[in-house]
Amino acid sequence: MASAISDIVGRLEETCRDPLATARALARDGRKVAAHMCTYTPEELVLAAGYVPIRILGWSAETHRADGLIQAYACSLARSALDLALSGQLDFAELMLFPHTCDTIQNLTDIWQRNVPSMKTIAVSTPVSTGGEAEVVFYRAELERVRGILGKLDAPVTDEALKACLALYAAHRAAMRRLYGIRRANPCALSARGMMSIVLSSFLMPKDDHLAVVEELIAALEAAEIPENGSRPRLFVAGAACSSEAYVAAVEEAGAWIADDNLCTGARAFALQETGCGDPIEELARTYLSRVPCPAKHRPGFDPGAALLEDAQRAKADGVVFLFTKFCDPWAFDYPRMRDALEAAGIPSLLIEIEQHVPPSAQFETRVAAFVEMIDTKEESE
Amino acid sequence: MAGERIPIESAKQLMKLMMEYYMGAKMAEQTDQKIAWVTSGAPVELLHAAGVIPIYPENHAALCAAQKAAVGLCEAAEERGFSRDLCSYARTEIGSYLTKSGPMGGLPKPDFLLCCNNICGTVTKWYQELQRHFDVPLFFIDAPFIHGEATTDTLDYVHAQIKDVVAGITEIIGKPIEDDVLHDTLVLAAKATSLWSDLLDLLAHRPSPMSSFDTFVHIAPIVVMRGEQRCIDYYEGLTAEIRDRIANGIAAVPGEQFRLGWDNLPVWFKMGALSKRFSQHKACLAAATYASAWAQMIDPEAVDDMLREMARAYLMVYINCGLEKRLDTLLHMVDKFSLDGVVMHSDRSCKAYSLGQYELAKTLRENHDIPTLVLEADMNDSRVYAEEQINARIDAFMETLAAR
Ligand code: SF4
Ligand code: SF4
Repeated sequence: MASAISDIVGRLEETCRDPLATARALARDGRKVAAHMCTYTPEELVLAAGYVPIRILGWSAETHRADGLIQAYACSLARSALDLALSGQLDFAELMLFPHTCDTIQNLTDIWQRNVPSMKTIAVSTPVSTGGEAEVVFYRAELERVRGILGKLDAPVTDEALKACLALYAAHRAAMRRLYGIRRANPCALSARGMMSIVLSSFLMPKDDHLAVVEELIAALEAAEIPENGSRPRLFVAGAACSSEAYVAAVEEAGAWIADDNLCTGARAFALQETGCGDPIEELARTYLSRVPCPAKHRPGFDPGAALLEDAQRAKADGVVFLFTKFCDPWAFDYPRMRDALEAAGIPSLLIEIEQHVPPSAQFETRVAAFVEMIDTKEESE
Repeated sequence: MAGERIPIESAKQLMKLMMEYYMGAKMAEQTDQKIAWVTSGAPVELLHAAGVIPIYPENHAALCAAQKAAVGLCEAAEERGFSRDLCSYARTEIGSYLTKSGPMGGLPKPDFLLCCNNICGTVTKWYQELQRHFDVPLFFIDAPFIHGEATTDTLDYVHAQIKDVVAGITEIIGKPIEDDVLHDTLVLAAKATSLWSDLLDLLAHRPSPMSSFDTFVHIAPIVVMRGEQRCIDYYEGLTAEIRDRIANGIAAVPGEQFRLGWDNLPVWFKMGALSKRFSQHKACLAAATYASAWAQMIDPEAVDDMLREMARAYLMVYINCGLEKRLDTLLHMVDKFSLDGVVMHSDRSCKAYSLGQYELAKTLRENHDIPTLVLEADMNDSRVYAEEQINARIDAFMETLAAR
C-alpha cells in the first residue's frame, strides 16, 4: 500500500517538477488557460467560462526583465511572475486575472496590462473588507461584471455551468481538507515535499483530474497502516505563498514533521465553506468573503494571533515556522502579534524570510536545524 | 534679480498654527473631547462636523522625520518585531507610542480610529494594529482601487460604508451629525481646497515664487485642518504673500533656469539638502503630484447628497487610481507648469505610490520625450538614503537637461 501512496504522490510531484511544461501541455491539448496569482481568484467562474485556471508562482529564477519595470522592493512573487510574462514563458495563457490583493499586486496589474499585450489582463476588485453585507453586495456585482467580460470572450457563462463548477470546487476543497486532516493526525503519512506537491499540482491541473487523484490517494492512505513516529517535533508552517516544495522539504529534513500549515499555497487555499445560498454568483461571493481572512484583508475583530494559535494548537504543534516572503507587508504587520500569542502559550517560533524564486540557502537550513534542535532539547528537559 | 533666496514669511505663522493644533489636541486628551486618529485620505469632514479632533499619525511621522527623530522611533518598532521593510511612517508611529516619545511627547490617545484604504493597503494593516493596541473602535472604509473608471457599484459600496461610519460616530458622540453642520464643513473644506489648488497654480509663474519644497512644508494645514476656518485664514495669508513675491519678481530659486516636477512623498529628513542641490543647478521644483493630491476634493455644489459626493471624491484620489490616470495627471502637470523634467522619488516605504513609477518614467521618456530621474530613497528612514549616489544622479541628470 505504501508503494501505491508513493506512486500517486510521485505522479503529482512530477506535475510540479516543471510547472511551465505542465501548463503548456494543457494548452497543447487544446485547453484554454487563464493564469492568476491569488487564492481569492474566483476560479469557479473562470472554469465555467471555459478556461483552466493556473496559479502562477515564483518560477522564474531570473528577474532582470522585470527589474526594469518594478522596484526590487516588490515581493519576489510579483517580480518573478512579471519576468515570466515578459520573457514569453506564459504564452500558454490567454488571460491573466488579478484579484485585488495588496499594494504590490494593484500596481503590478497595471504594469502587466501595459507590458504583456499577449494576455488579456482582468482586474477583479475583490473587497478588502470581509465579514459584512455591503461587501457581499459589492462583490456580487463585481463578479457579475467579470462574468460579463468572460462571457464576451467566448460564450456566455450560464448558471448551470457555474453551479457545476461550484460543486466541483466544493468537492475538491473537501477532499483537500480531508487530506490535511490525515496529515494532522499522523504527519508521517505524507512528507512535507509530497503534501506541498499535492497542493501545488492542484494549481496546475484541471480540478476534476486533480480531485480524482486526491480521492485515490485518500483511499490508499486510509487503507494503509502507517506507523506513528512520535520522536520528531511537530511543526506548523505559517505564511503566504510558497513557490516550491524545497522550503518545506528543507524544514522537514532538519528533523521535524510538518503537521499542518496555513499557507496560501496550502491549507488556506481550501479553507472555504460553501454557504449553499442558491444563486451561484451570490454563493461565490459569500464563499470567498466568509473564508478566514488572508492578512491582506480586513475583518472587524479578527485577531491573527488568536487565529494562528488555535490552528497551531489543533495541529499539536511544538513550534511554528513563519515562512515569509520578503517585502510582503500584510504578513509582516501581523507578525509581532502572532509571535506573541504563540509565545504566551509556550510555542516557540522562527521567522524566515524567503525570496520565492531562490532555492533555500545554507543559512535557511542552518537556522531551521538550530530551531528544531532547540525544540528537541526543550522537550527532553520537560 | 538673481540673488539671495528670500524665505517665505508665513512659515512662522505656520509653526504657530501647527503648535496650536497639536497642543490643543494634547490638552483635549484630559477632557471629554473626543479624539480620532485618521488616515490622510479619510473623509475627515465627518469628524469636524461631529466636533471630533482628528489626529494624523502620518503627519506626525513626517514631523518626526523632519526633526530627525524618526530613525530612533523606527528602531523601537523594529525591536518589537516590525520588519524594516514596512512603511516608515507606520514604524515611526508605532515606535512613538511604544516608547511614548516623539517631538511632542507622543500623540494624544484616540477614542476611535478612522481608516480609509484609498491611499494604500499599509494603512489597513497599520490601523488594525492600532485598534488592537489602543483597544478602541475602528471604522474602516474600503475604497476599491480604480483601474479604469469607477463603476456605480463601487461608488455604492463606498457610499454605504460612509453611511455606516456616520452611524458609528453618532453612537460614539451620542448625537447625530447634523446635515447643516456637515454642509458647512464641506463648504469650508472646499474653500480651503480651492485656495490650496490656486496657490499651487501660482507656481506655474516663471520664475516660480515658491517651490514644491515649500509646498511640502505648507501642506500641513490642508491635510490636518481641512474643514476649519483657521485653515482658510492661513492660506489666504500665504496666497497674499506669494502674490506679492510674484509682483516683486521674487523667485524660489533665484536665476531659475529649469523647472521640474516631483512624484511621490517628500524625503522629509533631506528637504534642506535636496532643495539646495537643485537650486545649485538653478532648478526649481515647480509641481508635485503629492501636493496636488489635496487639491482635487469635494464639489461644494453637489451637496444634495453629501455622503455620496464624499464617496466619489475619496474614491478617486490620485493614488487610488491606476497608471493611466497617473500618467494623464503627470502629462497635464508637465504641460501646465512648463516642466523640463520629472523627478520620481521611488519611496521604498510606499509601494502603493512607487510601484508603477518605472513604467510611468519609461512612458514619459519614450513616448513623450520628457526627461525623468528616478531617485531610490525613503520619506522617513534616513538609514536607506545613499547621499553620494543620489547627489551624483541629480548632478548627472541636470547636466543632461542643460545639454538639451
Ligand atoms: S506575497 Fe505579500 S506582497 Fe507579495 S503578492 Fe502576496 S500579499 Fe502581496
Ligand atoms: S507612505 Fe504610502 S504606505 Fe505609508 S501610509 Fe502613506 S500611502 Fe501608505
